Amino acid sequence: MMEAVESLKLDPRETGEQLRAGLWQTINQRYPGSMITKADYVPLARLSKPLSQSRVTLISSCGVHLKSDRPMNVCHPFGDFTFRRVPSGAQQSDLIIHQLKYPHDDADLDINVIFPIERLQELVAEEVIGGLTGNFFSFIGYNMDPERFEQTVAAGIADAVEEEHADVALLAPA
Amino acid sequence: MIKVPRALFVPWPMGHHFGAPFHTTLQRRVITEALQLLQTAEASGTIVTLPIKWADVRREAKQLTAQGRSL
Repeated sequence: MMEAVESLKLDPRETGEQLRAGLWQTINQRYPGSMITKADYVPLARLSKPLSQSRVTLISSCGVHLKSDRPMNVCHPFGDFTFRRVPSGAQQSDLIIHQLKYPHDDADLDINVIFPIERLQELVAEEVIGGLTGNFFSFIGYNMDPERFEQTVAAGIADAVEEEHADVALLAPA
Repeated sequence: MIKVPRALFVPWPMGHHFGAPFHTTLQRRVITEALQLLQTAEASGTIVTLPIKWADVRREAKQLTAQGRSL
């Protein structure tokens, strides 16, 4: 028992030492060019209206979808190059996580940990943001062909976001 | 390469990008700080790090998670 307590104290997450400190510099040194530079960024688009009048959408690689929807293919070695529409008015009990590549034990308890649908609904109710698009968008982040991903999932979501007249897109990894 | 014009870096583990279960104030803060960047970011490529350590999140979340499990 004492040993267990001692090892807990040494856990860097408990002592507050961040495991990710300096990570970006390390990756840049080991894999030059893999991290994008300022010159690569797309031009900054300014908000055309106040946040309280803007329609927000959520795009996540968390693999969350409606229980009634077709499950993600989490077994294919190249990934699943499809995305799911998640109604922004959905309840937590309507949703399921279909993704194996990140720990989702906490998200299973409270899906807002990775897909903050209830918090966004609250922000609309409090008029912090103007509204939500009818659907949010979800896919699995494990896709081994970036070009195919860009042509299928990314292009498909980009078109859908435009169709839903989103002013702001919140992108969230998982 | 996604090349998002503004990003909020959240220094927490995978699967926890909006914080911890039932910690609604923290989940909300991640969203609102990210949305704030729409108004405050001066240049494309702006990355702001959320100054909250995971150790502090875990400390705050332990009790909430225990309560939430029993719901």
